[in-house]
Amino acid sequence: MRAPHAAVVALLLTVAAGPRAHAEPSVLPPPQVQEWAVDSGTTGMLVEDHRVPVASVRLAFPVGTWSPWGRRHHLEEAFEIQMRDGKGELRRRADLLAIEVALSPQERSSDLKLTCRKEDLASALALVRDVLFNRDFDRDELKRRRQARKFAWTASRKEAEFVVGQAAVRILFREGDPRAQSFEEPPPLATDPVRLAETRDALIRFPGRIIGFAGDLTLDEARRAARGLLPDPSASAPPDASPVFGPLSSASERPRDRTVGLERLTQVYFAYGRDSLSYEDADWPASEIADHVLGGHFNSRLMVALRQEGGETYGAAVQNFGGLQPSLYGIRTFTRTANAARTEGILRDVLRRFHDDGITEEERADAGSCLVGRRAFDRQAPSQILSTRMTERLSGLPDGFTERMAERAAAVPLGELNAFIGRFFDPDVFTMLKVEAP
Amino acid sequence: MRVRLLPLVALLVCTTAGAQRPPPGYVSEKLPNGLAVSILPDATMPVVATQVWYHVGSANEEPKTRGFAHLFEHLMFGGTLSTPKRAIWDHHERYGGDNNAYTSFDDTVYVSEIPPAGYTRVLSLEADRMIDLSLTSENLENEKRIVTEELRLTNENSPLNRLYTKGLKAIFGEHPYALEPTGTKEDVAAATLEHAREFYARFYRPKNAHLVVVGPIDAAATLAKVREAFGPLPADGETPPDVPSLATWKFPAEIDLSEDIPPVEIAVLGFPLPPTDHADAPTLKVLFSLLAWGHVDPLEEDLVRRRRKALFAGTRGMTMRRGGAIVLYSASLPYRRKASAYRFLDEARQKLGAFEWIDEAKLRAAKRRLILSELQDAYYASSIADRIGRAAWYEGDERHAFDTAARIDEVGLEDVKAAFRKYVLDREPIRVYVSPEHVPVLVRLFGWLEPVVR
Repeated sequence: MRAPHAAVVALLLTVAAGPRAHAEPSVLPPPQVQEWAVDSGTTGMLVEDHRVPVASVRLAFPVGTWSPWGRRHHLEEAFEIQMRDGKGELRRRADLLAIEVALSPQERSSDLKLTCRKEDLASALALVRDVLFNRDFDRDELKRRRQARKFAWTASRKEAEFVVGQAAVRILFREGDPRAQSFEEPPPLATDPVRLAETRDALIRFPGRIIGFAGDLTLDEARRAARGLLPDPSASAPPDASPVFGPLSSASERPRDRTVGLERLTQVYFAYGRDSLSYEDADWPASEIADHVLGGHFNSRLMVALRQEGGETYGAAVQNFGGLQPSLYGIRTFTRTANAARTEGILRDVLRRFHDDGITEEERADAGSCLVGRRAFDRQAPSQILSTRMTERLSGLPDGFTERMAERAAAVPLGELNAFIGRFFDPDVFTMLKVEAP
Repeated sequence: MRVRLLPLVALLVCTTAGAQRPPPGYVSEKLPNGLAVSILPDATMPVVATQVWYHVGSANEEPKTRGFAHLFEHLMFGGTLSTPKRAIWDHHERYGGDNNAYTSFDDTVYVSEIPPAGYTRVLSLEADRMIDLSLTSENLENEKRIVTEELRLTNENSPLNRLYTKGLKAIFGEHPYALEPTGTKEDVAAATLEHAREFYARFYRPKNAHLVVVGPIDAAATLAKVREAFGPLPADGETPPDVPSLATWKFPAEIDLSEDIPPVEIAVLGFPLPPTDHADAPTLKVLFSLLAWGHVDPLEEDLVRRRRKALFAGTRGMTMRRGGAIVLYSASLPYRRKASAYRFLDEARQKLGAFEWIDEAKLRAAKRRLILSELQDAYYASSIADRIGRAAWYEGDERHAFDTAARIDEVGLEDVKAAFRKYVLDREPIRVYVSPEHVPVLVRLFGWLEPVVR
């Protein structure tokens, strides 16, 4: 049951805690990323750190599963199958080197990652080269994976989280939009090794590649290691290599309420959502503070109203999938079926009050110091620093964008923030989506 | 720019006996009230990890306190006599830190990561909630509602989680590991304030706790702060008695389960392992590294690739403090009889007894894989704090956090073979068979074609 005088209690608790300390901003030196041109289509990057005798390698190829070219040519299976030669030699070599080679097709890039002891780097890179040049793809394994893909799809349709996501993308995106792709039934996995090898050969030659190193090696060592690792780049990528995004449904096209059924649920899952902003939007820094206050931490508005005060739920949070493009924006929670109406009421009320009243200066200051302080977590290992920089580069963002965004967000004045909240969090443009037992 | 090696790293890359000493600057002390304290300074890290390990988990619950270990994981954020509810989260948020907790069968651990400017207050807040937790009926009733929602989410509304919960109960029977660490709705509903206070007074006290701090701190100053914050706490509390070892537990021979999973049938052979402080523990680590943690899983190679008797197969491990298991499994389309599935799996197990999957080179690689994994963790204060807390509680000696290289270096080829014979070949397994609740007619009729067309 909710406390009757929550505001008064909160005030008393604040007083009991004594004056609030102002968090000292963490002083972090700028990340040191060294960079060079490996060839006309490839950049080398190094984050040098000799504390631990290991080296991490990330090769990023600038085409991913959202690319129309990639989808048409079955990039996903072509990239993933490379370690699987017919005789299993590549995997055996990786095991003898005690390294894990991870091949991950992402939305906008395809990544090969490994970490090894420094003294194994040369052997590990020789293995990488052989993986990228392997054309003897294991046909049996492809057929097995085709079956596995079907099972994964069947299983996901019974998970509430997936069903919520699927319903949300169907409201917001038009058919065929890459942002909806992971929620739609995947096409049958391609099993022709020859064609898949051709796809892989092409994709690893697209210009814009990055060879990244992090850890216990010098710039000279990194330069030598990068040389000859990849085949020569092609002059250009095909015109349909980049993802194409359709327009989002407008607020007037979207339903105000939608309910989707899923057998056997004992809870109702809510997504109270709309379209998000993107980095290009001038309000993005303000949205980072707003998201944090509304649903970005244990004491957020949502968590206090829905969990801490009345025990309606175990979790309530904002999920913002926006970034390079606008995407889904959802306020998420769940509760027992019998408590659904009450929880929905509180959820609507939290949003309405957030929209009407905005946030306080104290909330703004705390959110800002939190976002700035949190940057330290991505600075612990050199591979984290490398990963941030490579992701920025592959996304076409300026170097240091991610860390500077926290500072920009922390600097947004309260008046500007609340003006943004008044515009964006208008309950009339949100859709209340529920997944529940039929 | 050259930076010195992290304190732990020298120990991981060196296998000589001298390397078994903790790294320079490491402080280990037991306060007069019984609190174990471990501090590892490392000036190169950007965050401080503080962990408080309470040596009580779901397996230690008695009938009247079922579900309490996990319930306390929640109640501990409810404020104290002098600190308002949620103050610990507020503090971490202000600095960009994280504060959370988890409950396992064997322990409940409170974890903080925070930039150095905010860490000393974490020590005061942890000391405060170790003695003065505000246990009110309002807090208890609210957390009971929250935990019940968590249980619905994790145990009821996902087919795979439902299967896991059913499996634990069926396999472990009357053993305390039969109950999921999160408890059950019925247990949570029955929790009373009186029993909660009793549980807190017995187990959330210095004598049953281990405080670990790792990060860019001054060890002497941190120890002084620890003494100041925790020293005045009373010397009470108790560590619950050990639950029975899995190595000597009587398990059922065979179990059948069904759930709303995709149309595959899964055959499992489980082999119990001894507690984590057993002398075989380093050998078992190497065994897992060989069988389960590489690119090539020998069981999968045989059943899936060579003989096409399964769609998926592999080796997995489970580790709890009082024992674990080696699990061999295979999954195929549901057209085959259960007896055949078990037969293929048994044949594969016997083939593993020929030890084609191990030689000196593979053994060396398996050991290197274990060391590499620890080296990768060495950048992260929280990973190292976790390793220290785990070594102390699971292996009986916190120094084992620092001697992995030396301990596994002593494991030889014959040790691994002997362990495999002892725990897998010479034992009768627990047999578990999982069937899907629904099988499409086409799969039932033509599933047998899958290995043929593959």
